[in-house]
Amino acid sequence: MTGHAGKGPRMTGRITRRSFLNTALAGGAAYVTLARDMSAFAQAGPIIIGHHCELTGGFASWGYWHNKCALAATKLINEGGGIGGRKLELVTEDTESHPATGVRKLRSLVQRNNASFVTGSVHSGVMLASIPVATELKTVYFSTGEATEATSDKGTRYSFRTGTDTYGLAAAGAPWAYANLGKRWTIISPDYAWGHSHYKEHKAIIERLGGKVNDPIFVPLDAKDLVPYLSKIPQDTEVLFSVFFGALSVAFYTQAKSMGLEKTMKMYSVSGTIEAIAPADLKGAAEGVYIVENFPRMVKYKDDAFHRQFIKLIGTDDVDGRETDSNRVNAKSHSWQSYENLFALKKAIEASGWKTKKDDKAVIEALEGLQMENSIGFPQGSKILRKEDHSGMIDCYISRVENNELHVKKKVTKEELMAQLPPRVDLSKEAL
Amino acid sequence: MNELVLALAVNGLVWGLIVALIALGLSIIFGLLDVINVAHGDFFMLGTVGGLVVATSTGSFWIALAIVPLIGLILGAVIERLVIRPTLRQASLTIVTTFGLSMIIQEVVRATYGAQPRRMAAPIDGTIPLFGINYEIYRIAAAAFAALFLIAFFLFLNRTKLGTWIRAVRHDPETATSLGIPVTLVTAFTFALGTAMALLGGVIAAPITTVDFRSGVDILPVCFMAVIIGGLGNLQGTVAAAIMLAVLEGVVTSFVDPTTARIASLVIMSVALLVRPHGLFAGATR
Repeated sequence: MTGHAGKGPRMTGRITRRSFLNTALAGGAAYVTLARDMSAFAQAGPIIIGHHCELTGGFASWGYWHNKCALAATKLINEGGGIGGRKLELVTEDTESHPATGVRKLRSLVQRNNASFVTGSVHSGVMLASIPVATELKTVYFSTGEATEATSDKGTRYSFRTGTDTYGLAAAGAPWAYANLGKRWTIISPDYAWGHSHYKEHKAIIERLGGKVNDPIFVPLDAKDLVPYLSKIPQDTEVLFSVFFGALSVAFYTQAKSMGLEKTMKMYSVSGTIEAIAPADLKGAAEGVYIVENFPRMVKYKDDAFHRQFIKLIGTDDVDGRETDSNRVNAKSHSWQSYENLFALKKAIEASGWKTKKDDKAVIEALEGLQMENSIGFPQGSKILRKEDHSGMIDCYISRVENNELHVKKKVTKEELMAQLPPRVDLSKEAL
Repeated sequence: MNELVLALAVNGLVWGLIVALIALGLSIIFGLLDVINVAHGDFFMLGTVGGLVVATSTGSFWIALAIVPLIGLILGAVIERLVIRPTLRQASLTIVTTFGLSMIIQEVVRATYGAQPRRMAAPIDGTIPLFGINYEIYRIAAAAFAALFLIAFFLFLNRTKLGTWIRAVRHDPETATSLGIPVTLVTAFTFALGTAMALLGGVIAAPITTVDFRSGVDILPVCFMAVIIGGLGNLQGTVAAAIMLAVLEGVVTSFVDPTTARIASLVIMSVALLVRPHGLFAGATR
């Protein structure tokens, strides 16, 4: 064997300058070709977007819909050719509706799953805990919760929100409610950031308009019997503004109704209080309540082809937003964000020519001030992602529960909302 | 203000009786079996869900009230055999196993029944004026049911042969065995009885609170507080502590904001435990 190998021409021939140059050139050409092919392959690979979602825990009834909406958007985007010709790969992690778990899962999405962008949590606690981490990881993070801090003093260049916050909801609903429902308000809410934020924003508007806001009633999150708290509502209250979610919402409506509060005061609330719950399932307990919606539950109040196609895609009816093959009810005023955020990212990625994480600055600049037109990608309606505070300026709706259905009484356009809602920060000036 | 204090004291008594029924189930399981049942709140939740399902399908709350605790008895017996018995008499291990059980129960209900919270209509409509507030008649009825079941339980425990066996097994299982008492069977029945009481509490409380897969998470700490403050394993003490806690928090709420009231009642109870570390009623009955 050794002898045979010794007789080979390469073993016997000397390395000359010509052969060296030939080999080097051939090797170099091969390297360039291989590198170019590998780069092309990498670019043709999927764009990974993380979904930071409450699949279990206290927000599970909302998270189900956020997940369903994100999956529907992913399917639609990929059927339409993906993002800039690349497949969208959605990776979902369950935050368990818990801030510490949420932070861990966010790191997992970015560091283990290599998510380039994250569309995130509807739980205000998870969302506020996640924004500093997303910023540390230099990853664009869309939150879907309502605590205003996410796009104000705790917001960063990386945090965005297409939906409303407590600041926006107060601006959308409080002036109308003050004019039409009453001047003396009492606010009852859970004793945590979301409720406190609503109290602060609404109090400022009602007092500016000349109204009176009684001391707030903050209910412990684990309360089951609400009578001790409901019985403290002053009897001169004209408008009772309630901010609850999930099980506490049902307990509130049930026990307030049993005490006959709706007979002496107007009941006013925000969509979170009745998200994932059909008024009919409350068996009349929510009758007469006014609610600020971000996306009308009944399709007839935004009756266009895109809205109808959207509910068909996610499989709900056109009255309650109830799933066609189950009793689940869409958390519609929030879950649309998990759908539209993917289309917003698609639009910004394609407009900026983003290829890798190195191009994030261009995507962020494209998202700042992004205009979104009413379409199948943005079925909630036309909107703008305001440059300064990264907040979505959207149409809102003030609805009333009548005969167990949510009927819109007043549409507040995004232009009206923007006039009431000057930006409090300018995140676009932050260095990246 | 005086009227409000009275109204909240009465409401505390009403809610306390319902909590006492649930906490008593926890107390007999701990006091008689040394099982720290972290899944007890989830048995309460199963009572609310089962109550709504049976009431909706039969059209009668009263049928649910009769059937669901019986289902609880069977469920408790099955769980005792499969989950509890392998770890019996090892209190720390029972925490781990019942914690796992708790997660399984919650997730099974979430995956099958759904995560959406629901309302169960009260079987008795109407309110009565009570010290300045409109008070729901069903709450008074619910408290009466709870009181009735509590009395029935203590009669059963003290006046029947099976009740005597349960007390005997608790007192000294070895001697009970030597006397021919079927200890394994009594143990299984005791756990099943505690489970059934939680489900019964769930059915009674469902029209007042919410039917939700996580509703057991919030009720569990209150039940544990009643068990600890009443004196571990002291059944009468558990009932008294549950009522005292609810009345105390209700009364304090009439003077300060709800969160301060919660803190104040916890501080008062902590001080009480510092003075009597084995519970307010320790030693009365075990």
